[in-house]
Amino acid sequence: MSAAIVCRDVTKSYLTGKTVTPALRGVNLEVSEGELFMLVGPSGCGKTTLISVIAGILNHDGGECRIFGRDPNEMSDEERTAYRGKTVGFVFQAYNLIPTLTTAENVSIPLLLNGIERAPALERAEEMLVKVGLKEKLRTLPSELSGGQQQRVAIARALAHNPRLIVCDEPTSALDHTTGGEIMEIFRHEALSGNRTLVIVTHDSRIFHFADRIAVMDDGQIVQVANSPAELSFGSNKEPSKHA
Amino acid sequence: MPVSALGPFRPPFGRSHEVSPEPLTSYHTPVYLIALKMLIGNRGKFFAMLFGVALTALIITQQSSIFIGLMSRTVGFIFDTPQPDLWVMDPKVQFVDDIKPLQDTKLFQVRGVEGVEWAVPLYKGQLRARLSNGTFQTCNVIGLDDASLVAGPPTMVQGSVADLRRADGVIVDEAAANGKLAKPGPTPDSPKIPLKVGDTLELNDNRAIVVGIARATRTFQSQPIVYTTYSRAMRFAPRERKLLSFVLAKVRPGEDVHTVAARLAQQTGLSAYTGQEFKGITIRYFMKNTGIPINFGMAVGLGFLVGVAIVGQTFFSFVVDNMRYLGILKAMGASNRLLFLMILLQTSLVGVIGCCLGMGLASLTSIISKNSELAFYMPWQVPVVTALATALITLITATFSLRKVLTLEPGIVFRG
Repeated sequence: MSAAIVCRDVTKSYLTGKTVTPALRGVNLEVSEGELFMLVGPSGCGKTTLISVIAGILNHDGGECRIFGRDPNEMSDEERTAYRGKTVGFVFQAYNLIPTLTTAENVSIPLLLNGIERAPALERAEEMLVKVGLKEKLRTLPSELSGGQQQRVAIARALAHNPRLIVCDEPTSALDHTTGGEIMEIFRHEALSGNRTLVIVTHDSRIFHFADRIAVMDDGQIVQVANSPAELSFGSNKEPSKHA
Repeated sequence: MPVSALGPFRPPFGRSHEVSPEPLTSYHTPVYLIALKMLIGNRGKFFAMLFGVALTALIITQQSSIFIGLMSRTVGFIFDTPQPDLWVMDPKVQFVDDIKPLQDTKLFQVRGVEGVEWAVPLYKGQLRARLSNGTFQTCNVIGLDDASLVAGPPTMVQGSVADLRRADGVIVDEAAANGKLAKPGPTPDSPKIPLKVGDTLELNDNRAIVVGIARATRTFQSQPIVYTTYSRAMRFAPRERKLLSFVLAKVRPGEDVHTVAARLAQQTGLSAYTGQEFKGITIRYFMKNTGIPINFGMAVGLGFLVGVAIVGQTFFSFVVDNMRYLGILKAMGASNRLLFLMILLQTSLVGVIGCCLGMGLASLTSIISKNSELAFYMPWQVPVVTALATALITLITATFSLRKVLTLEPGIVFRG
């Protein structure tokens, strides 16, 4: 199985005034194509920074981070914009659906940004919404949907343009246990098809068992990689602690 | 690896599943529809911005049109007198109402200049009219050449210009006949009775009979205009050594107007201007020597600033409200150029609709105020200037908002 993501000694610091705050301190990571990979760890440990680097949203300061063979740092701004538009799908904790667009229109956005015409884009968007179980909500505004339904729309949007990589930031933390489970089922059954790679940042220990592998981050480094929740040093039913 | 219960995804639309980070350079119209839906969907801010632009366009259009209307009124008499090619006058004359009387012999000197086909005298002066209720009203009396009646009123409402040849005949302008020269009603509360043909006036203690009512361009001072013959005007006017206000001259066919004007100046010591030049001299005088331009300029400038402030602030707040969604679009592959074009489209839509609304309201003012005291004249240049000012406002607004978007960190999308 070929590697989708290969990070070697990746470092990243933030400059706040005159203070340099290291967020990533030499991260080493390898994620295979078709893998559902979870990043867990306490708040402020660098999880979101790491997926921002992987998604081509942030530049890393040192090391290398190759996504399907290319390091976003080596791309021009235009190439990186295209990389995000074509290769990456995003799912956010706060769903981030545009409130004045219908569900189908929200899902069609990545397709439109990739130059697809409106009619086929909407057709594809509706197809995706049907797949995530929202057949009856094609023309609904986000404000008329429950949290779980909005997250389904967000997943449909992340999948619509058939990206090779999907990054998710706390996709279930705003949802109840049952809805969170349903969302993860959709990820397992829909998002992973076609050898797609998923990287999920989460605090939600209830969904750890959906992962193929789990990496625990602490203080800007990956301190443990487990093949199942049971292998995690802090256990599957607890919130990962800073000293995992 | 897990397999989809619904079957594997097909790569959509024949696109390769390979990494293809070539730049996204062309976008289809639907991308811009997103921008429009984001704008119109936020109704409160959308209408606030429309209000701002419409108010700005209204103020700029209305104040500019009133300014131009006032300036036009300063040259109303020249506008109504298109027959002569040249206006000959004392060189010290600064504007059309600045009368520096000439000796009557100057008329003959002008007639003697080569290239002049005909030349007629014109009296223009202010005389007091005594109304039937005993009050006085200063009138702008125009004395026309007795033979040709050149420089007569442009449009007759009652009677004809030739009626001036009747004894004591005067023609009064319609606005004055219905207003300042109208007779009082039978009771103090009853409406005034418009002056009509056959009524009499007392002009500087001389009897004058109204033989016609004319429609003339309103003048800057809005005084009643009374037309009569030159010889009768000499009788009405107080005795002075010099009473000839202007000599109106026609240039012989084939002669160059400016050459004849120069010849006139050289041979008579007077100034000769075409109607267009005289209008320019008059307007420049008012622009330079009155507070009108600065007053209206301030109103127009204030309108522009109000527009920038209201529209700019509201749109900036709209962009800030949408920063998260713009961040999502940026994360999902929208370039800065696309985001700028989306913002420009949003501001342009607001600009176009608001500008049309504002100019429409101003045009309504124009229709309502037609034939009233309000000096409102909107030539085609005014809407063009308003449209340019609105475009500038939208561009300033878009540029300010763009700064926010350009520095937008796509990582904003990961913040809860």
